[in-house]
Amino acid sequence: MRNILLIAKREYMEQVRARTFLITTILLPAVFVGVFYLSFLSGKHSGSDKHIAIASSDPALAAEIRSQILADTDAKATVDLFTPEMPGMLMDSDRSKLVSEVDSKAIDGFLWVDVPASGPVQATYEAQTSGDFVTGDRLQSALNHALLRRRLLQDGIAASTADTLLKTVKVDTRQIKNGKEVTSNAVSSFYSAYIMALLLTMTTMIYGLNVGRSVIQEKTSRIFEVMLATVKAGDMLTGKLVGIGAVGLTQILIWISAGAIFAGSALGAQYLSGNLQIHISLLQIVLFAVYFLLGYTLNSALFAGLGATLETEQELQQYSPLAALPVWLSFSMILLISTNPNSFWVVAASLFPPCTPIVMFLRMGSQMPPMWQIGASIALMLLAIAAVLWFSTRLYRIGILMYGKRATLPEMMRWLRYS
Amino acid sequence: MPVVELSAVTKAYQDKVAVNQLSFRIEPGQMFGLLGPNGSGKTSSIRMMIGITAPDSGAITLFDRPFTRASLTRVGYLPEERGLYKKMKVLDQLIFMGSLHGLSAAEAQKRAIAWAKKLDIAHSILKKTQELSKGMQQKIQFIAALIHEPELIIMDEPFSGLDPVNASLLQDTLLEQKAQGRTILFSTHRMDQVEKLCDSIALIHQGNLVLSGRVREIKSRYKRDRVVVEFEGDDSFLRSPEIAEAKNYSGHAEIRLKENGDAQKLLAEAAAHTTIYRFELMEPSLEEIFIQAVGGKVDA
Repeated sequence: MRNILLIAKREYMEQVRARTFLITTILLPAVFVGVFYLSFLSGKHSGSDKHIAIASSDPALAAEIRSQILADTDAKATVDLFTPEMPGMLMDSDRSKLVSEVDSKAIDGFLWVDVPASGPVQATYEAQTSGDFVTGDRLQSALNHALLRRRLLQDGIAASTADTLLKTVKVDTRQIKNGKEVTSNAVSSFYSAYIMALLLTMTTMIYGLNVGRSVIQEKTSRIFEVMLATVKAGDMLTGKLVGIGAVGLTQILIWISAGAIFAGSALGAQYLSGNLQIHISLLQIVLFAVYFLLGYTLNSALFAGLGATLETEQELQQYSPLAALPVWLSFSMILLISTNPNSFWVVAASLFPPCTPIVMFLRMGSQMPPMWQIGASIALMLLAIAAVLWFSTRLYRIGILMYGKRATLPEMMRWLRYS
Repeated sequence: MPVVELSAVTKAYQDKVAVNQLSFRIEPGQMFGLLGPNGSGKTSSIRMMIGITAPDSGAITLFDRPFTRASLTRVGYLPEERGLYKKMKVLDQLIFMGSLHGLSAAEAQKRAIAWAKKLDIAHSILKKTQELSKGMQQKIQFIAALIHEPELIIMDEPFSGLDPVNASLLQDTLLEQKAQGRTILFSTHRMDQVEKLCDSIALIHQGNLVLSGRVREIKSRYKRDRVVVEFEGDDSFLRSPEIAEAKNYSGHAEIRLKENGDAQKLLAEAAAHTTIYRFELMEPSLEEIFIQAVGGKVDA
């Protein structure tokens, strides 16, 4: 036990004193906060500040659509009314004129609304950008509103009554937590869980790979032979996992403390309000540490075994997608997780050990998973860790003394048998 | 009571037998040489002695008891593959190694500083290992093996890569250790380097024991049939019937006598015709003995 602690302490001190620790401690959260803020802002501002022209054979309808668009303050759009060559009629020359205006970037796009004497209204939006579905949605809603208002007026309903009827209602989201209603913003809850899942991904991956790198460095520097004359291979591996894991926990502790200080400050109160309100419960913080430790141990056990079979850090780098695979898998399910966090596939993914930490945190963004599922996920992760450790310690014990070339699969199978 | 005893130890890796039925014992206070060419099974034998690997069959005792890890605190090991933590400061490294061997941090620091002064590296003790020359790193490794004052010191190729000054410094240090009653095991393929240091040896080849015993005893078993003559004048004595083979380097001749060649007769013949400055009947070197013993089939 004494030797395990000595080895853990050595690993811890070496990593904490390294410049990379300082850089990642400051840089990682800075990058994530930046990404969070940017995606929040871009979500808020997507499809805004557009310059649009409305062309219609019915100038009154065009004016109505314009006023509907301008009423949407989020859109911040500039809307021109296009006057056709022949009043009351849209011709090909009008379209050509508008197309050339779009082409010369005088406007971002135009809404072409043809109102035939009989039959339904036909509308197209033509713009420089093809994928601007936000603007498309806004225009569709404005057009439908305008048409509805017109029909109401035609049916003899007073303008003021029609406006009251057509007034849009904004839906505020409130979350029920432990039987109590909490003011919550779906977007910010999701983003805070998203950040935590990303941080968890990055830390478990970085520190898992760190263990692999450390094993290779020791192998390259031939320190193992000296160490093994004093301590058991298993103790060396345990010390290394404990030491590097403690570095990760230290980093997380620094982030949590810094976050708490920021949230408690006047500046934090100013920024973390309204839509940016972040709800992170104590349970989430505890689970963050638990899932970090589990995810880290699983990754690091895997990379310690792998590192022992390799010769250079470059070779290890080639295997890093192995750690990224569950991350890709988890994030590919993000839409399903956020809209239906209790569906079969989401629950199954959150119980699949390599994906557990990420998927669990993404689920928390929408709804806290039931405690039995959290308990089961932890138990399954512990089982997976035990299994990976079993293989890894065997590969490690022999691999660290094999120099010169990367081990082949049959060789690794033999090592497993030797141990 | 032997410090180390191997009895019919065998170790094979896949199809290759690294050590085959090897037996020898090292008595307390001895300087023992485990000699043989590269790949003869020296490192494999040492690794089994200190529990890095386990023998497939046979028995190993350390300090007269079957091997246990607890006895490793009484062993100091300098492996052939030197290894240090490159980014660690020298002093921290030595304290760490000392602590792993059961010393308190304060005691390890005290001893590390004393050793650093003794081996003339005190000025580098606060530097990172990677900033030091290879020779300096060797000295640190050497201290790391000795810092806990082990009763048994195992040195695998201890002088390889060292310049003559440092090699001699480490040699003297080991002689001091021996004088203090410690047992030392050398393993090397450079037999000439250790033959004057060792009391006893075991010569191994392809995992098999070729010869073992006290150096004097082994050498006495082999005839002195080499003669070195330094002379001035007529060299006709080099055609004497006593000689099987002679190399003449103008005034310095190296001679191998015939099976029953008489050195005294040769001396009389030479002295009759020329001025002799030196006439030395050489005992065979360990290397020559080794080559004779394995019938000249040596790989390295």
